[in-house]
Amino acid sequence: MRIIACLKPVPDPKHWGRLALDPKTKTLIREGIPNIINPLDKKALEAALQLREREGGEVITISMAPISTKPVLREGLAMGADWSILLSDLAFVGSDALATSYILATAIKKLAPYDLILCGDQTLDGCTSLVSPQIAEFLDIPNLMHVSAIEAQTRGVFRVRSQIEYGYMLVEIMPPMVLSVVKEVNEPRYITLMNILEAERKEIRVWSSKDLSLDEPWVGLKGSPSQMADLIIPTMKRKGEILQEEPLEMANVLADRLHRYRYC
Amino acid sequence: MDFKLSEREELLRKSMREFAEKEIPPRMEAMEETGEFPVDLLKKMGDVGILGVITPPEYGGTGMGNLARIIILEEMGRVCPAIPMALQVHHMATQALSKFGNEEQKKRYLPPLAKGETMGVVAVTDPTGGSDVAGIKTSAKLDGDNYILNGRKCFITNSHVSDFWVVIARTGEGGRGLSAFIVEKSFSGAKLGRKENKVGLRGANTGELVFQNCVVPKANLLGHEGEGMNIAIQNIGETGRPGMASVALGILNAVLEQAVKFANERTLYGKSIGTLQAVQWHIAEIYADLEIARLLVYRVGWMRDNNIRCDAESALAKQFACEAAARSARKAIEIHGSYGVMKEYPVQRLLRDALVTIPAGGTGEISKLVMSRHALNMFK
Amino acid sequence: MAKTPQSKVWVFAEHREGKLAEVELELLGKSFELTELTGQKVALVLMGHQLNRFYEEILSFGADEILVAEHPLLKSYCSQTYVKVLENAIRKHQPEIFLLGATAMGTDLGARLAARLRTGLAARCIDLTISSEKKLLAVVPGWGGNVLATVHSPFTNPQMATVTPGVFDMPKGRNVTGQIIPLEVKLKPGDVTYQILEIRREEVQELALERAEVVIAGGWGIGSKEDWQWIENLASALNGVVGATRPPVDEGWAKEKQMIGQSGRTIHPKLYIGIGISGEMHHMVGIKGVEMIVAINQDPQALIFEWCDLGLVGDFKEVIPPLIKAIQNYKEGTH
Repeated sequence: MRIIACLKPVPDPKHWGRLALDPKTKTLIREGIPNIINPLDKKALEAALQLREREGGEVITISMAPISTKPVLREGLAMGADWSILLSDLAFVGSDALATSYILATAIKKLAPYDLILCGDQTLDGCTSLVSPQIAEFLDIPNLMHVSAIEAQTRGVFRVRSQIEYGYMLVEIMPPMVLSVVKEVNEPRYITLMNILEAERKEIRVWSSKDLSLDEPWVGLKGSPSQMADLIIPTMKRKGEILQEEPLEMANVLADRLHRYRYC
Repeated sequence: MDFKLSEREELLRKSMREFAEKEIPPRMEAMEETGEFPVDLLKKMGDVGILGVITPPEYGGTGMGNLARIIILEEMGRVCPAIPMALQVHHMATQALSKFGNEEQKKRYLPPLAKGETMGVVAVTDPTGGSDVAGIKTSAKLDGDNYILNGRKCFITNSHVSDFWVVIARTGEGGRGLSAFIVEKSFSGAKLGRKENKVGLRGANTGELVFQNCVVPKANLLGHEGEGMNIAIQNIGETGRPGMASVALGILNAVLEQAVKFANERTLYGKSIGTLQAVQWHIAEIYADLEIARLLVYRVGWMRDNNIRCDAESALAKQFACEAAARSARKAIEIHGSYGVMKEYPVQRLLRDALVTIPAGGTGEISKLVMSRHALNMFK
Repeated sequence: MAKTPQSKVWVFAEHREGKLAEVELELLGKSFELTELTGQKVALVLMGHQLNRFYEEILSFGADEILVAEHPLLKSYCSQTYVKVLENAIRKHQPEIFLLGATAMGTDLGARLAARLRTGLAARCIDLTISSEKKLLAVVPGWGGNVLATVHSPFTNPQMATVTPGVFDMPKGRNVTGQIIPLEVKLKPGDVTYQILEIRREEVQELALERAEVVIAGGWGIGSKEDWQWIENLASALNGVVGATRPPVDEGWAKEKQMIGQSGRTIHPKLYIGIGISGEMHHMVGIKGVEMIVAINQDPQALIFEWCDLGLVGDFKEVIPPLIKAIQNYKEGTH
């Protein structure tokens, strides 16, 4: 099997206290915040490694990120991936989720034939959950999101659990496909010292736009239909609604609010 | 001079931190209560490679080296210093065996240590005192194909969680009359003595080993007769002192983090106490202690990995780091005010842990003897 | 006589196992608001099989049009078939705005559809407005809620957004009976690319404080061990975990492992209800990034009221019993 895991380097949440906003350019200053592999992507990689252990094959990681993130990808190799691809080019800068998905899909096409593409459902920073289904759309293959378990059937048909609001769906689906995972899917393995040494001998291939046949207008800032109009960092203080009514009335208002936010 | 850690070392630190933060906290309450090492963690540590970091690959380790070892111990110590206390003595056993063992001994004893099937022990301290190695009374008399050992070893880390021990005993007269043996717990006459109840570094098992006409086959002599003192001194200097210094380094990390967290969050007079100069000075001093200790300890790791003799540097790192850990923990307690002496807050435990590092693995006074001996010869 | 849809704002009417999702009502309400000035018509898009069972209910919502894509191959949700049908409809009828709930289904369908149409989608937004250029502006949280971005898709149509359930209000009665308009569906069996074998419900499990999504915390203001029972009861009613500040632990009403805050545990729930807690720094520190903070306290000057989304000033002993009752009614569906 050829399994591809999409890894995104994201700023380490332990250091988000350093986040600042440039009021003039309305961009986030991420100086000095080290990167980690997006936690759900790490779980996607773990799922890929477990599948390789069960079925045999190859696990490749792919990322669209600046060259400086190579050490983060090395961690994926130290977990056990066979080799990595880093898509890096100034032309990619400013890409929204759609442009990013397009670039990743174009690179993945070069790796055909492949069986599975695994991603995390959501990233810590962007949080859009758009990339995994959009990659599937650009590759014209089926996809499932919110995956909490993957079982392989013998005839090449997979049985997958996809979480919904009140439980999960059991779905039968065949490769090639894209699956994006949620936190229940597994606990990623620890990186061992032996693996760290092995990983140093594994390859991180860097591809830029000249290695991919991309449609230029669909890449980078100009390829991004979604544009940002404003950006703020809200303060911790909240402007709450303070009620001082009859207990019964207040209880009903709260219960209604809880219900609408799906807590009951 | 490159002060940056390599990519390998950064990745090592990161993965060790993840391991430590996940695996150790659930076990800490029990460790503090019972004083027992969580042996169920041993196999996991073996699988990850923590136990065999300085063991050659032919015997189940990775041989990643001394600086890697220091980083591992530091990260474990940042979460719970008792863990690297136990680990560092384990590494001392692997070092003694790797350096002085013959092929059979290495093949027999190193792999189980690397895998985590048992913990390593180096037993030097007699009741006559750890600082007085030449005064060891535990005897080993040759009798046919065996040595018969009599005596006791005290304040031995990992004593009760180990299947075999490296023991220094007297085969002849004076300082050159000491020899090293590998004593298996199953040998006739080998017994476990009392368990100690320490005020800190609880969770690193400390106890007594007793030898009553203990029968040790000749094949278990480590090195040559008379080499015991040399083995003990090299073991302490090359592995024991940097190991203890790394434990103290872990404590210093935790101390600074706790102190900074509290200083930033606690408010008095309407603002965080971190804005008060007196608190800032404490924080600066703790920061300085951490940075200095780290530089000293890492340097020893680097020197060892480059096969450069570093007795004085090693003694300095140990003595400085342990003292620094104790005084910084004390300052952190003061920053916490009354919360600092409440049992729910971890900072008081850090002071107790730091105090135990001071005599363990060589007293500060002995370290100073090593340093002065070196300094007095420096300009000849 | 097939009519042509006139609506320019379309809302996806999600349904599963015979029940319509509530989020489309919230989206409908917001759409009515947004179109008040423009006068544009709003449609609900209903897809699936044997959809007439929904007609009575859906017509009562007040949308101008109900666009129906009826086909046996749409019986079970499959992102590729749904995208195929919607793409066709959207290219034909050119809506300007397409909204879905940010649900398990909506996040999937919305994303693929946006890629198919090469348009922008604002994901999981918490507010929608119309800009002076008549474009849809969406407020989107990022970085775990620490950052709020306002995004728009000025160059492409339809402008799409998925909306977090619960942020918008239900529509206030709109006296309109919509027209049901069928949409063209061209599908063949090969278009279906996966089979949903079954849907299983899940029980909520016992959680540790650090991993709990719902935390009910009590403080000094609870007053006694007997009254502490109300915290336990409310936590039970909401499938949440009990937390405490220092005093209840000292007093023995709560256990050490339930303490939140500086020396205790840092928690990351979605919902936090603090009762009888004044809101002193070293307790609040433990709850960064919580989505909804509710406070119940007798003292209107309590600090916690500066940090909450909803604050109730009153005696918890009088608020919690009817609150639990109302919660249970919602859970049983008898509200």
